Amino acid sequence: MAQIETLGILQDIQSLVSDQLQVVSYKWLSRNYLVSSSTAMRLLKEFVEKHENGFEVVYLLSGWLKSNPPIYHRKLVSGSKLPEAKQEFNESCSVQVYSVQACIPKDPAVLWNAEFLQAEELFKQPSTVDNCLRDNRFCGISNSFVKRNVEGTPLDISSSHLKSEVNLGLKSNLAHQSITVPQSLQNKGQQSSSKADLLSPSVAKDVKSESNGSEVHAQASKPPGDKKNTSLPAEEKKVQNGKGSSSTGGSLATFWSRASAKSKPSCPAENSNLIPNPAGASSDAQICAQEVVEGFSSDDDVHDINVKRASNGEGTRKRRVVFDFSDDDEYEDAVNLASPETVEGKSGRALKESINIPVPEKSNSNFDKQVEDKPKTKEEISIGSEQLLKEDSSVLRNDGAMAIFPTEKKNKQLNKEDKQIKAAPDSPKRKKILKTRIDERGREVTEVVCEGQETAPPKKAECDTTKVDNNLVTSAAVNRPPAAKKASAVGNTAPSNATGKTGNKKAGNKDSKQGNLLSFFKRV
Amino acid sequence: MLELRLVQGSLLKKVLEAIKDLVNDANFDCSATGFSLQAMDSSHVALVALLLRSEGFEHYRCDRNLSMGMNLNNMSKMLKCAGNDDIITIKADDGSDTVTFMFESPTQDKIADFEMKLMDIDSEHLGIPEAEYHAIVRMPSSEFARICKDLSSIGDTVVISVTKEGVKFSTRGDIGTANIVCRQNTTVDKPEEATVIDMNEPVSLTFALRYMNSFTKATPLSNTVTISLSSELPVVVEYKIAEMGYVRFYLAPKIEEDEDDAKPQ
Repeated sequence: MAQIETLGILQDIQSLVSDQLQVVSYKWLSRNYLVSSSTAMRLLKEFVEKHENGFEVVYLLSGWLKSNPPIYHRKLVSGSKLPEAKQEFNESCSVQVYSVQACIPKDPAVLWNAEFLQAEELFKQPSTVDNCLRDNRFCGISNSFVKRNVEGTPLDISSSHLKSEVNLGLKSNLAHQSITVPQSLQNKGQQSSSKADLLSPSVAKDVKSESNGSEVHAQASKPPGDKKNTSLPAEEKKVQNGKGSSSTGGSLATFWSRASAKSKPSCPAENSNLIPNPAGASSDAQICAQEVVEGFSSDDDVHDINVKRASNGEGTRKRRVVFDFSDDDEYEDAVNLASPETVEGKSGRALKESINIPVPEKSNSNFDKQVEDKPKTKEEISIGSEQLLKEDSSVLRNDGAMAIFPTEKKNKQLNKEDKQIKAAPDSPKRKKILKTRIDERGREVTEVVCEGQETAPPKKAECDTTKVDNNLVTSAAVNRPPAAKKASAVGNTAPSNATGKTGNKKAGNKDSKQGNLLSFFKRV
Repeated sequence: MLELRLVQGSLLKKVLEAIKDLVNDANFDCSATGFSLQAMDSSHVALVALLLRSEGFEHYRCDRNLSMGMNLNNMSKMLKCAGNDDIITIKADDGSDTVTFMFESPTQDKIADFEMKLMDIDSEHLGIPEAEYHAIVRMPSSEFARICKDLSSIGDTVVISVTKEGVKFSTRGDIGTANIVCRQNTTVDKPEEATVIDMNEPVSLTFALRYMNSFTKATPLSNTVTISLSSELPVVVEYKIAEMGYVRFYLAPKIEEDEDDAKPQ
């Protein structure tokens, strides 16, 4: 190392120790000035020799103890206690400068605080950066066969975990420190790697409980385009969509949701499974809600929404838009309002098994009644739909009919069902119902509307930009008390969040031209 | 161990009033240099950065960097229990999940302890680069607050345009439009009443008045406000806290594409 450089570093040490009162350890020095750890120790020694007072020195003693049997021992001692500590060791012990600082801290943790912060910084660097912490290049001992990619997991994931781990706050950091530091005293050479190794298992453990948050992290960097795969919590999704910002960063909702995930640790495992769909659905729903408002200019572009246009045969050319937010069969309970379409996309049999069918049926028959002007009597409805079954070549119609006859396509069955249906709208329990209307382009739009809240539900549906899906999902929970628990659980977790956020989201829609700070500033 | 003794306790109360509407929960970061906070509002549009330097405290002890997550509404509730002349001491132990606010009356005959639970908040700091702003306007904070309040009754957004002549705040709404021009005015008796414009190039940006209005909650902290604008950057609205630090609000501009932006929906 050039002499001048050494002088510069020594001056820096001087100012760090005396002005900023920082603990300068050889480890910190090595990483900060990118010198090897032995050089860093030498520098510190030089510093100690040059400046005799104004600071305190912590020495690292290592060697065999005089005790019997001899034990290899490493010890940190302050300068004043050095002679007596030396007594314990054999003559051949090594004395190195561990750190210099303005005064010996009361709390030993302060000794490694600076270097821990530094290590944290290095951890936070993007995975592609091969920094000195990752490759341990300044270590006195090196083994070219040792790969320092933590646990073989993709680095980006681990780094994001680390990040969230680190974000947990100082307490947890300190916890890690206390584990890592004694270790590092023992394998002085390996300190950085051992730290990494030590951190990572605990991180890995945390991954499960925090998978929500970390996934968010991982996902946040993805372009918001691929909505199907996103496991972002519904809220975040919405915020992003609501603002229409294309910034790749997550929204602050990420933080809220993570915070809540932490405070409610009971749900995380499920969340990661259950949230994705509603999330995707709600974003879709938002899109389609907007489209409802905009007059359906581009139905076909809508993600995840099966938009089927079925000609109704004679005369009345009407289109029907249906929302499908159940991609997976396992969510059929949760999202069975959309089940007519699920049937379309998949097997109608799955639906038949579902207990929750009455509502979809009801919605469908409402649908038929209102829009297609079917005769009002039950039998006629059934006939009508049977006719549809026979006559209509369209898949949609078929499926609609199938939904109407969920178990068997018999008139009796249907009549029963229709009775239920008739009863349903009158019952005061039903707060939300499916409404069908015809938009300005002659298509039928099915929406879920809160009847309890509004006296004129269709109107509300029109003026409201709230997501149809929200309503759908919540109604899945509200409408069907007998529905499977799963449905209500889902309704309570993600979708309830979703509805809670609708207000915000509206504001977000309003502010579609509002810039986002994240497009100006980067996260540290 | 953390112990911060602030003789002018009302200052902390004002700070909380200034930021609690914008941010619900935030981490207060304590280090040897001072007591700071950085947080974004929930929609990521605005950011508040607070710094209270250690020199401003009568007694400042922070053994190690400490980040305390607090619900600002709750904190504000507690601070409201402090008298305006009270001396406020913030205390926290390492590893503790509570923070204690101690209020001493000036005559020392009443001492109140309030312990508040801390929260675990994941927040990420944004790196805010030092930037040269195209225009920096310093004006009386009350004047700025008045303008924001007045304009928000007309429209939703404000266009702030700085030229050599002065700074223009304009808005438009359903009922009409409004323009307020403040000319540079350095010839006043009191320096805090001056309007000073330091402009390198003209700049015009649109902002949501809603946020501006919440920034003006910090008006009691300072007689003057500094508004720094650059066409490619969020505006910075800074209220200096005498001898201690500052509260800075950053607000992302609205992207001007068409005119119906200014109309309320």
